[in-house]
Formats: sequence, C-alpha cells, structure tokens
Amino acid sequence: MNENEIQLKVQALVDGELTGPEAKEWRGRLETDAGLKELHARLTAVRGLMTGAELPRTLPESGDFHWSQISKAIEREERQAKHLARPASGANWLLRWVLPLAGVACLMLFLTLQQTTRPDLGISLGSDHELELSIDDLDVMTFNTGDDAMSVVWLDYSLDLQQDEMDLWLD
Amino acid sequence: MIALSLNNLISRFIFLVALLLFVSGGFVVAQADPITVQARLVLGTSKEQKGKTEVPDTIRKRLAKVFKWMKYYELRSRRLSIGDGATKTAKLSKTSKIEVSNRKNGKIAVSLFSEGKMLVQKSQTLKSGSYMVLAGGSGTDSAWFIVLSKNK
Repeated sequence: MNENEIQLKVQALVDGELTGPEAKEWRGRLETDAGLKELHARLTAVRGLMTGAELPRTLPESGDFHWSQISKAIEREERQAKHLARPASGANWLLRWVLPLAGVACLMLFLTLQQTTRPDLGISLGSDHELELSIDDLDVMTFNTGDDAMSVVWLDYSLDLQQDEMDLWLD
Repeated sequence: MIALSLNNLISRFIFLVALLLFVSGGFVVAQADPITVQARLVLGTSKEQKGKTEVPDTIRKRLAKVFKWMKYYELRSRRLSIGDGATKTAKLSKTSKIEVSNRKNGKIAVSLFSEGKMLVQKSQTLKSGSYMVLAGGSGTDSAWFIVLSKNK
C-alpha cells in the first residue's frame, strides 16, 4: 500500500467511512505508528475546523440527472400521444363541422340570391318540337318562351337581308 | 218472339250508326285544314332607323323580352295560304326563302334556305296567337328574325 492509499484510509477513518473490522485494524495501526497517528490528529483537527464552515450547496439537478432526463422525455412523448388520440375538443368540433356548414350555407345563399336577381326571360328548353339541320358546322340554339307562345331557333348565321330586285319592282 | 228480334235489330242498328259516326269523326280529325301563315322578315337593332316599318306591338314586346335589341323593323311580309298536305314557298330576300308545309294535327314544317342551301327545318304545332321564330346575328349590332304566325 503506497503513501497516498494510506492517507486515504486514514482520511476514511476520520470521516467514519470504514467498516467495523477495518476501522479496528486501522485504529490499531495508529497506536503503533507515530506518523499515522500524527496524520490522523491533523486530519481530525482540519475536520473539526471545517465542520459548520462549509457553504451549503445544492445541485441544480438531482444525482440521477441522466435518468431523470430520459424519464421526462418519455413522459413528454406520452403526453403528446395522448393529446393526439384525445377526442376533438370544442374548438376542434367547431373547425370540423360548423365552419364547413357555414361555408355551404353561404354558397347556397349566394346561389339563391343569384337566382332571384337573374332577369326572368321566361325561357324554357323542353319542347316536343322537331329540328333538322342540314349544315353540320352551324351552331344552333333553340328554346321556347315560358308560356310556349313563341319558339325560337337561333342560328349562328348571317342572312342576306337585301331585297330581290324583281320583288322590289313588283312591290 | 217477334218483339225480341225487333229489339235486337234496333240495337244492332244503333251500334252500326255509332260506329259509323266514330270512324267518320276520326277521319275528319285526321284531316289537315287549310291554314294561312304570315311570314315576316324582321331586322332587330338598337338604333332607330327612319323610314322603316316597325313590327306590330305584340311581336315587338315578345322579341324585346328575350333579345337585347329594342327596335324591330319589318322588312318584308308574306301571307301563305297552304292547303291540306301542301307546301308553299316565300322568298324573303335576294338569297333566302322559306318553305312552309301544312301537316296533320295543326303541325307545320318550316325550312329555311339561304343561297340555295337548306339551313334548318323546324316542325311544330303552330297555334293561333303563337309564333315560330328563326333568327340569327347579322353584324355586331343587329339581328335578323323570320317570324311566322298562324292567322285565324
């Protein structure tokens, strides 16, 4: 056992950290070794001076800092998982149902207003009338007025309106 | 016995008369009466054109209710008396004409020709007081209308 180990053992004896047989052994050695006895006396004196003079210090984190951080991380993840799995709160219910319904209601209101503001031309599209076209690329639109008193065939065609000279002469 | 056979004879006679009336009535209904159709070539425009004849007010109101133009001038008018199953032609402008056929059950067929080619044929029942209109754009600010009506 080297000098440093011997000093540490004496220090442990002063601090009361040695077990019963070991403490008894080292007390016996103190009786026989003057150097050790002097060291023990010096350390005991220093301990006496320091007792009550040490400033109390508390660790910012507990001794099991590493494990406590892991535990906190696990708890935080569990809380987040519970939050996600939790049924919709009042605010969520509002977002999921009330806002879409309000949107649909606004759309229907808009369409209703559009219908009421549309000018009433009294046009209907259903009819038992027959239409035959001879030119394929001629655009045609046909409709009846609401009271069925006028049927219209609208052709995308510019008709020459000039009067025949013979007719003009006859008229 | 004699009274019974007389009753039977009368019943058969009444039945035959009723059958004859029914058949002849149906035949009369199936016949097409001669009709008179008025065809008007009308110019619809938003600008007033002096010297031109405006269409009758009933036609103007009907057209103005549907179309954007407010002024409707009658360029030409033809009256066609069409017999049962017959077809009459009316020339409305230098290059256009209509053919009107009198079909069964008050139905008429109107064909519009332009530059010798048939553009469209429309068939419908035309009642008195109702109008068949063939129309189209002619330029940016006017339109042509062929307004057909059945005279009473």
